[in-house]
Amino acid sequence: MKPRVLISEPNAEVRRLLELTVERLGYELVKAPPAGPPPAVDAVLLEPGSPESHTLLHRFGGEVPPVVCLSVYPREAGLAPPESVAYLVKPSSTAALGDALRNVFGR
Amino acid sequence: MPFAGPTTMRRVLAVKHHLVRSQRRLVLIAAILGLLVTFAVMMLTDTAKEIGAIGLAPWIGLIGYEVGTAGGVAAAAAALGLWIVAAEAQGGSLSPLTIGIRIAAFLLFAVGSSIVGRRMRESERAHRTQAALQSALIDSTLDGICLTDADGNILISNAPLRRLSIELGLPAEGTVPDRLLAVAGRTTEPERYRTRMKEIAAKPMESSADEFELVGSGRVFRGYTAPITDADGRFDGRIWTLREVTADRELDRLRDAFVAAVSHELRTPLTSISGFLEMLRDEEQSLGDAGRMYLDVIRRSTDRLQRLVEDLLLVAQIEAHRLELVLGTVDLDQIAAAAVEAARPTATEKEVDLLLELDGAPAVRADAGRLAQVVDNLISNAVKFTEAGGSVTVSVVGNGPFARLAVTDTGVGIPIDEQGQLFSSFFRASTATRQAIPGTGLGLVIVRAIVEQHGGTIDLESREGKGTKVIVTLPADEAPTA
Repeated sequence: MKPRVLISEPNAEVRRLLELTVERLGYELVKAPPAGPPPAVDAVLLEPGSPESHTLLHRFGGEVPPVVCLSVYPREAGLAPPESVAYLVKPSSTAALGDALRNVFGR
Repeated sequence: MPFAGPTTMRRVLAVKHHLVRSQRRLVLIAAILGLLVTFAVMMLTDTAKEIGAIGLAPWIGLIGYEVGTAGGVAAAAAALGLWIVAAEAQGGSLSPLTIGIRIAAFLLFAVGSSIVGRRMRESERAHRTQAALQSALIDSTLDGICLTDADGNILISNAPLRRLSIELGLPAEGTVPDRLLAVAGRTTEPERYRTRMKEIAAKPMESSADEFELVGSGRVFRGYTAPITDADGRFDGRIWTLREVTADRELDRLRDAFVAAVSHELRTPLTSISGFLEMLRDEEQSLGDAGRMYLDVIRRSTDRLQRLVEDLLLVAQIEAHRLELVLGTVDLDQIAAAAVEAARPTATEKEVDLLLELDGAPAVRADAGRLAQVVDNLISNAVKFTEAGGSVTVSVVGNGPFARLAVTDTGVGIPIDEQGQLFSSFFRASTATRQAIPGTGLGLVIVRAIVEQHGGTIDLESREGKGTKVIVTLPADEAPTA
């Protein structure tokens, strides 16, 4: 069964790029409903500088999956949530993003 | 002397001028009285002969000095009349020659003293005009300025300083160091402020420039003080200047915020461009030659834009003193060797000879990533500014407790009058712009900031048309290497 990844990215073009990248890397892309509890996923890929991302994490309640951050802000900005397991600064290569997700899933 | 109040230079001059005029009236009255009293003494004591005409001369001189030639001549005529009356009343017989000599002497005395008086008044007027101009000059500056004696007491202060001292709430009395110390508690860094004030007091012969910010209002002031010496070089006092730089600092903050915002905003489209370019790589073979060439151009431009964004953000970090180093023991030889290998393809493509000379330099305590950035930058600059057939030599040597890296090229060089600006943000040498050599003018700013944050120094030697040598000196790591 493919690992399931949820993406939260405010920019539509970057979001589309991330969706294509995640699918090309062989993971299952999961879309969150506009409201209510999000579906169960194995990792969240998000922009920590976006308020929507924090709202999404809040909707997970206490069961937040591992988070991979891909941000326009540097790590020193302190935006990464506690569940963050990797922090990449945009623009990041597909290889770097693939490495980060592989580290989360162990494959 | 308080900062505020009527004791300004201009007011002091006005009061002085008023006193001088009153004094002149008093002298004139005293001289007329003196003339009359001398006459009375001659008459009452029968001593016109003994005292003689000379007894009246000082009063003629005084009146001539204070009133001018007409007054002096009038005083001379009056004195002569009084003397003749006194002399004849006491039975003396005055010959025309005696009277003529007295007339000549009195007139000469009156005219001479009036000339001296006029010259003195002219000189005094010129001095007053000069002082008023100087006063207007120091009052019309934006900076608060004052001059203190060797003990710190104010001798002269200008209007902006009085205004600033009221706004800062400085005490109206006391020496300048004491008054400045009194507001330490209102600054954002009271301990640092107190320490600096004590250092200034302890080192009278040193100049000092400091900034301090007030709690609450956020107003920022820049103070400067320098010693004044007498002709023998002995400490004679201090000049103090104070300028509000709140607007400048606010501008710095806005610029940093603007650069950061722009840089962050650029990252989003850059992510799309570089990401989709990567996606296109799989389909590149289906493109024609022209399509592949276009893709290469887009890739190079994207890389360049990305480097520019990184540099802008790094400069913003440097200028905000937020550049953080992760220090460890670093082998400068290895860093240099890696940087040379990374630059070799470009050098080869440009037909520039790239040489590496290592001589067992000591390890340094450094942030390996940042140090690599320094060496990469210097080598890529050297290759970029060297024409085909030239050479770039990278050498690393030990020099006592220091490791020294030198990057020497035989490139276009830098005009001597531009070398001082090379480490300023966005500055580009005319030799680079003339030949349309790409660059942002941020590389050397970053290099110097990183080197200096490591406790090192950077020096540059260059001759236009001959080449450039950049030398980085870093302190060796004190910890023993394995």
